[in-house]
Amino acid sequence: MRILLVEDDLMIGEATQGALNDASYATDWVKNGLTALATLDTQHYDLVLLDLGLPGKDGLDVLDSIRTRNNPVPLLIITARDDLGDRLRGLDGGADDYLLKPFDMAELLARIRAVLRRKGGAALSVLDNGLVSLDLISKQATTLENSDVQLSSREFALLQALMIRPGAILSRSELEDRIYGWGNEVESNAVEFLIHALRRKLGSHVIKNVRGMGWMVSKSV
Amino acid sequence: MDGFKKRLRDSVQLRLSVTLSLAILIVAVLAGIFAFVSAFDEAHEMQDDTLRQVAVLFDRQQVSLHYPASQEVDGDNEESRVIVQYLADGSKAIGNDDTLIPLPFPTTLADGFSTLNVTDEDFRVLVRTTARGERIVVAQETGVRDKEARESAWRSLLPFLILFPVLLLVVGDLVRKLFRPIAALSADIDRRDEQALHPIDEHHLPTEIRPFVVAINRLLARVAQSMENQRRFVADAAHELRSPMAALSLQAERLAATEMPGPARERLLPLSRGIERGRKLIDQLLSLATAQASSDRPQTAVSIHEVFRRVLEDLLPLAERKRIDIGVESIEDVHVTINEMDLLLLVKNLVDNAIRYTPHGGRIDLSVELTRETAILQVKDSGPGISAEEQSRVFDPFYRCLGTDEAGSGLGLSIVKAIADRTGARVRLSYSDEMKKSGLCVSVWLK
Repeated sequence: MRILLVEDDLMIGEATQGALNDASYATDWVKNGLTALATLDTQHYDLVLLDLGLPGKDGLDVLDSIRTRNNPVPLLIITARDDLGDRLRGLDGGADDYLLKPFDMAELLARIRAVLRRKGGAALSVLDNGLVSLDLISKQATTLENSDVQLSSREFALLQALMIRPGAILSRSELEDRIYGWGNEVESNAVEFLIHALRRKLGSHVIKNVRGMGWMVSKSV
Repeated sequence: MDGFKKRLRDSVQLRLSVTLSLAILIVAVLAGIFAFVSAFDEAHEMQDDTLRQVAVLFDRQQVSLHYPASQEVDGDNEESRVIVQYLADGSKAIGNDDTLIPLPFPTTLADGFSTLNVTDEDFRVLVRTTARGERIVVAQETGVRDKEARESAWRSLLPFLILFPVLLLVVGDLVRKLFRPIAALSADIDRRDEQALHPIDEHHLPTEIRPFVVAINRLLARVAQSMENQRRFVADAAHELRSPMAALSLQAERLAATEMPGPARERLLPLSRGIERGRKLIDQLLSLATAQASSDRPQTAVSIHEVFRRVLEDLLPLAERKRIDIGVESIEDVHVTINEMDLLLLVKNLVDNAIRYTPHGGRIDLSVELTRETAILQVKDSGPGISAEEQSRVFDPFYRCLGTDEAGSGLGLSIVKAIADRTGARVRLSYSDEMKKSGLCVSVWLK
């Protein structure tokens, strides 16, 4: 895997390149937008990490140039600009993800893996948050204690809804929407019943209740 | 008396009123004296004129004088009577009584006016030598003359007596009215809060104080500019510090991933924690600078429960680490019109604070309630609470309550206050449990 890092800050560039090398990614580091475009013309990369505040040519312009040349390389923006307009312009302009400085290396690596996975076209067949993994094809869940627990289709639908974005809180009505199709009669306490069943099968710590708000599974660790 | 002198020295309004009143009083008194004296003299002159005309009349008509023998004539009054007699008859006077003529005038009198005391009464006397060579005396008692002159003099004072109080009232009222815009202006400026540095409206103000107001406006503009510069400096500094801090924390993370002996790993942990704390502090500084920036941000209808949810998603790991039971108490959601980022930052800082200062196994409740016009948002925790003495200070940047070993940035409540000030919200601190005086309850009235 070869990654192009476009970053003008020496300290961050050094640290990021080092960490990426540690994680076994071959990393080339350029410090301005024009060099980045020239390098992309001559060399194939599996992923670009792009800073927005670049000397010479702004990061968003670099992104624009890459996309108008029909280069589909996966691209992740890393920036200190936390304003919503820039974020939207970046994502609309063809970036695959957007990460705000300062960031944790672990998070950057996770985002890189996610972008590569999506771009690789390999349909995601397993959802995993570190505590529990859910096989989307066999509808089996695996935790540290129990492996390959078979779930009913409603239990599976509920757990899947929570596992799509670990850490997100879903309310009762949102979960009901996911479990029941249009026109199905919603049984009262169905959500509590299913969560009770899931906890019994997988352990009580798997699904957490947030008082007054809803339920969630823990964010990936 | 000293107090009055000081007030007189300090107050233009009082000085103006007093000076004008004194000026009016002095002018009125002088003019009054002059009018009195001249009216008095005028009256005497007119009376002398009458005596002269009577003498001339006798002279021209060549009237021979007969002294009536004490019979009453209708309309006669002894007091105001004009007496005419031959001067030579003075020696034939019957007695020492002014009701009977001839009166005993001394026969040696020279021609012209004089004032004499005859029969114990003062008389104004005119002696004239007629064409026939007789000397006649025309006389009148001075008592009645003076009385009439005084009356006419007093009458001439009447306009001043009316004018003086009226003028005083008019001057007092006028001065008060003229100074009213200044009083209104100062009350207006007094009501401003410290963030309101917009210029004072200088229209509708008297030209005399307009230059003063223009100068104040220029000062306000300079203060606003310097505050803005300061805020921008903090924002820029925080922003610039972010990159090296990010690099530092990345390097620490890399270091943690390498093989290293146990003691080294032990020492790496506090280092990483220190870096983490620095990062957090810089983030909070940047948030505070952003919160204080006065730029207008787009407002939309924001669901408070949605904001609660996003904040809880963010901060739940922190709460779980301390086994804190955190949740939302209110069932009904409320929508308010506000900038979403502002509200998010406000709630996030309140909840972050609550988690920080609530002990292990504690409880935090979020709620929102709609009253007539406002939405009241509350964050209650089961921590130690903030004493009444400290409640006003905790909004100061970098202030931390004594006796807490929590490594917070000390900026959380400052950020909350800055956002509240800018969005017109009101923040109040109290105890969650008023009886036990424990637990912090932060209530925010959103507009």
